Amino acid sequence: MRFILRRLGFYLVAFWLSITLNFLLPRLMPGDPVSRMLSRSQGQLDPSQIESLRQLLGVDDRPWWQQYPEYLWRVLTGDLGISISRFPTPVAEVISSQLPWTLLLGFVSLIIAVVIGNLLGILAAWRRGSFLDSFVPPFLIFLGSFPYFWLAMGLLYVFGITLGWAPLSHAYSVGLQPSFSFEFIADVAAHLVLPALSIVLVSIGGWMLAMRNTMIATNSEDYILMAEAKGLRPSRIMFAYSARNAMLPAVTNVGMSIGFIVGGALLTEVVFAYPGVGYQLMAAVQGLDYPLMQGMFLTITGAVLLANFLIDIIYVRLDPRVRAH
Amino acid sequence: MISNRNRVRRFAGSLLAAAAATALLLSGCSADTTGDPGASGALLTVPREDMGTFNRNFNPFSPNAAPMTQQAVYESMLVYNPADGSTTPWLAESWESSEDGKTVTFHLRDGVTWSDGEPFTAQDVATTFALQQKIVEGSFPYVEKVAAADETTVVFSLSEPFSPGLYEIGQQVIVPDHVWADQESPDTFENKEPVGTGPYTEVTNFQTQSFDLLPNPHYWQKDKQKLPGVRMLAFAGNDGANLAAINGDVDWAPQFMPDIETTFVDRDPEHRHYWFPPTGSMVNWQLNTTTEMFKDPEVRKALSLAIDREQVVEVGMSGYTEAADCTGLSGSYSAWKDESLIGACEWIGYDPDKAGEMLDAAGYELGTDGTRTTPEGEPFAFDISVGSTSTDWLSVANIISQNLADIGVTATVDAPDWAAVTAGYEQGDFDTGIVWSDNAPTPYQYYRSLMSSETLKPVGEQTFSNYHRFSEPKADELLDQFSASSDEATQHDIVDQLQELYLEAAPVVPLFPGPEWGAYTDVRFTGWPTEDDPYATLSTRSPTTVLVLTSLEPAA
Amino acid sequence: MAYPQTELVATPQRGGRGLARLLRNLGRNGKAIAGIAILLLFIAGALLAPVLFPDDPSRIVGGGAAPPNAEHLLGTTARGQDVLALTLWGARSSLFVGFAAGLLATLVAVLVGLAGAYFGGVLDDILSLATNVFLLIPGLPLLVILAAFMPPGVGTVIIVLVITGWAGGARILRSQGMSIRGKDYVAASIVTGERPLRIMLRDILPNMASIVMMTLLGCIIGSIGAQAGLEFLGLGDSNTISWGTNLFWATSDGSLMLGQWWIFVPSGLAIALVAFALALCNYAVDEITNPRLRKPRRAANAAAPTRVTADDAEEGVA
Repeated sequence: MRFILRRLGFYLVAFWLSITLNFLLPRLMPGDPVSRMLSRSQGQLDPSQIESLRQLLGVDDRPWWQQYPEYLWRVLTGDLGISISRFPTPVAEVISSQLPWTLLLGFVSLIIAVVIGNLLGILAAWRRGSFLDSFVPPFLIFLGSFPYFWLAMGLLYVFGITLGWAPLSHAYSVGLQPSFSFEFIADVAAHLVLPALSIVLVSIGGWMLAMRNTMIATNSEDYILMAEAKGLRPSRIMFAYSARNAMLPAVTNVGMSIGFIVGGALLTEVVFAYPGVGYQLMAAVQGLDYPLMQGMFLTITGAVLLANFLIDIIYVRLDPRVRAH
Repeated sequence: MISNRNRVRRFAGSLLAAAAATALLLSGCSADTTGDPGASGALLTVPREDMGTFNRNFNPFSPNAAPMTQQAVYESMLVYNPADGSTTPWLAESWESSEDGKTVTFHLRDGVTWSDGEPFTAQDVATTFALQQKIVEGSFPYVEKVAAADETTVVFSLSEPFSPGLYEIGQQVIVPDHVWADQESPDTFENKEPVGTGPYTEVTNFQTQSFDLLPNPHYWQKDKQKLPGVRMLAFAGNDGANLAAINGDVDWAPQFMPDIETTFVDRDPEHRHYWFPPTGSMVNWQLNTTTEMFKDPEVRKALSLAIDREQVVEVGMSGYTEAADCTGLSGSYSAWKDESLIGACEWIGYDPDKAGEMLDAAGYELGTDGTRTTPEGEPFAFDISVGSTSTDWLSVANIISQNLADIGVTATVDAPDWAAVTAGYEQGDFDTGIVWSDNAPTPYQYYRSLMSSETLKPVGEQTFSNYHRFSEPKADELLDQFSASSDEATQHDIVDQLQELYLEAAPVVPLFPGPEWGAYTDVRFTGWPTEDDPYATLSTRSPTTVLVLTSLEPAA
Repeated sequence: MAYPQTELVATPQRGGRGLARLLRNLGRNGKAIAGIAILLLFIAGALLAPVLFPDDPSRIVGGGAAPPNAEHLLGTTARGQDVLALTLWGARSSLFVGFAAGLLATLVAVLVGLAGAYFGGVLDDILSLATNVFLLIPGLPLLVILAAFMPPGVGTVIIVLVITGWAGGARILRSQGMSIRGKDYVAASIVTGERPLRIMLRDILPNMASIVMMTLLGCIIGSIGAQAGLEFLGLGDSNTISWGTNLFWATSDGSLMLGQWWIFVPSGLAIALVAFALALCNYAVDEITNPRLRKPRRAANAAAPTRVTADDAEEGVA
């Protein structure tokens, strides 16, 4: 319990520091959102309206140390403000319309990569020296060495454009109404194939290798030898004893990965026009949309923290040794 | 003991089989890809390549409302077409300005109804302008009062004669008084169910990645409302939008496409066409005239002669536009160009030898190492600023830099994010840069931003116009005369004089008119504007878009 | 950092012999040899670029994109530039930035991790906090922001990569450092009054050699990838030629859509090969320090359990 409380306190401090940095950094960027809009419009917006547009959009000219307390208060009360680049849509609405898709893509990819990667790792560790152990990990690592936007575009080109096997863009076929019908879910799944595949291919090697190495280390422990001596079935030893213990570092890694999913697989979303948070994040940064940027950073930081905290709790449950410290 | 090898194998095998089966099942069951136009008549499908996702916000006073808000949902009193210089009466049938230029009267069309059935009246116009001035202060600064003289007449009282104002007023989209007058905060009103006079106002099927606009049941031009509706698709970049266009998933492609002949047209040459009229804003290479080395107009003219505009346009802009002509005006002002000046290019062209001579004469001598020095003995070197994400302009800057290196001038391309570049422009903290310019129905705003002292601000004071900080007193005179006069002949004469002044003073180095991107396929819809029939441009974000929407019809 | 870390057993060695042994064993490991060979090939290519292609490869010429032919072995880009020249010249910047940023990031990570592990207490809490805060800040937006307001240039890219890359390594190095710090011989040094710096450098650091090496390799891989990503988004320095900027121009010219694979493939492949080579080295270091990970002489029989025998253990690990 004390462990949990300590971690909680620590996370709160880290959270406060992060949001402060999230507040400061964008304001160090040169320029302001309205002139950014002006340059984007390339002559369509009237320069004489800039000042009032600024007021309208809520661009704050006060020095940052005056804006900061108000910002903190808003964070605590959950008021995320109104987006500048999508004025007058509130930030919360912008984020909530995109977040589910990023989460879907991220979680599906993560789960597939984790499950398959770890399974492969377990099997490879069990069958040392086999094809699975010698050649598959290096191959998967090689795949994972490609910049993932490159892989995404390659997949799009080969499977989408040339072969026409998968849809090219978006989260579901245009014109379909979202519902829980089988048709809709199947459509979403089909549109997930390529984006998720590109993320999975890049990350699976890491999971496999990590699990394999940990398993090998675990396999040499005495209690495994004992289990074999007792005559337990190898598959039971493999799953119930080795894998169970080797899973712990994997759990921590999963925790860290969950948090970063929310940051959005930016480039994948751009390549596949997936309506998630990732692209919007970059657009917000480049458009100097402070409220949206802050809202998104907050969401990401909060998610990372929450995930880490949950993982810590799970870890404590899985590994009784931690409690003893 | 059962062979465990087999066990493991069987387990793995069944996993794989299950995965494969699921994948096949899902791909087979998925609804058809976006190629399917839909059962009940194809909607006009249009991509939007810079938004990633849509939000349900149709407030026309916001610069960031959903696409088609100002084109399909709301309309204005007149439509000016830069492609052929014509003006089409729209919600107003006619208009006139008084002798002294301080009163403009619009006569509205009879029988126009809002999409909710309420009649369209002059009060709507009055309310719209009041709202616009309230929400964005500084809008229409010359408009003192807007009054509805009767149901179909609106009178604008101006504080001073301002003839270009006619178009600005005429192209303001009108909102209904009965919806907006009682809004407590019209600036943050999201207007999710818009009520407009436009052809396609009924928002349906709104998703983050697409939405549909179905026909306005009370539209005033029933015979011009031939489409089943308009569908907008969101994309996060040009690539996605281009892919959709190439695949035939969209009908209209108003975004930049590399090598459009091979990528797009060749797939279906019978139906696919493109047209990039040079009616976008003029793209200039602006030299910061507060810097010592750019103060001499001869130097500016010399640098202009060093640029191979053909290469700039062919390689940098993929041949999608043409080099600036001798007037330095964009194609949108073709009706204003002084014919006599077009042939007499003194300094807008490619003549590196002459450029070298002019620089020598101005004291910028060529050294033994092949680079020039200023009269003060400093190396003649400077930066060219451009935003990194505009790759076509980046190529242009690179080509200019190469051209200048050939005559001994060292120009380094500086390409950070546009936010940083624009900030530099606004503060006057830059050497040179590739910059857009104002694009309006008359060249008034353009020349004002180039040479007027009214737009001039010193370095360090933020400005949003006239970044190169140049002014010419004679320009002020001419511009005042222009805005005071509403007689066309006088206006043309004044603009001729302005063009002459421009050629003398060389405030900026003109490069090329920005092309208005536009491509389409007429597989499903015909009636598009073309070079031979330029009744509108192919842009989806301009006042002329509504002309296209009311001219298209399903293919036979 | 892309490469996941595993628990290692650190062996108590004094002085620098641990590092020398490690390097010697690397020389015998097949994977390491393969990895180093690939790296050397690329480095050679990078160094030879000015010799093979002395003209400015980014010079815009007409001509348009042409597939590989006799004159241009890898074809040309839409602006008439030779792809092979761009790739080789690109190696210079990409490798330099990757290695420099990786080295610096590792240096910072070592300093922070080691200091935190050794001194403990308040300093450790502060450093851990800093590490975790940097791990919490979303990486890509931080990259975008930093890249936007610092002047474009190689220096900026390196600084930005270091700032976003050091935290992962610091965390691992700290936990490893702490476990070593708890060992008896370190306690002995403290008791005999050795200075902290000496203890850190002579006792703790050498025994972490393999982890530091793996962190270094991981940071380099991460830097190369992050640099490519930054430049692909258009946030790098557009004046430099690097693999990332090559890919940036390739996409903005729509090369993939036009089927001009020869423009798009070389730079991406180069990044993958270099990252893979480094990963192989990482793999090798892992194997050497953890003998159980080495390839067994005989493939395992499913019925027989995995065994560590005397045959597998080699000298070099006490």
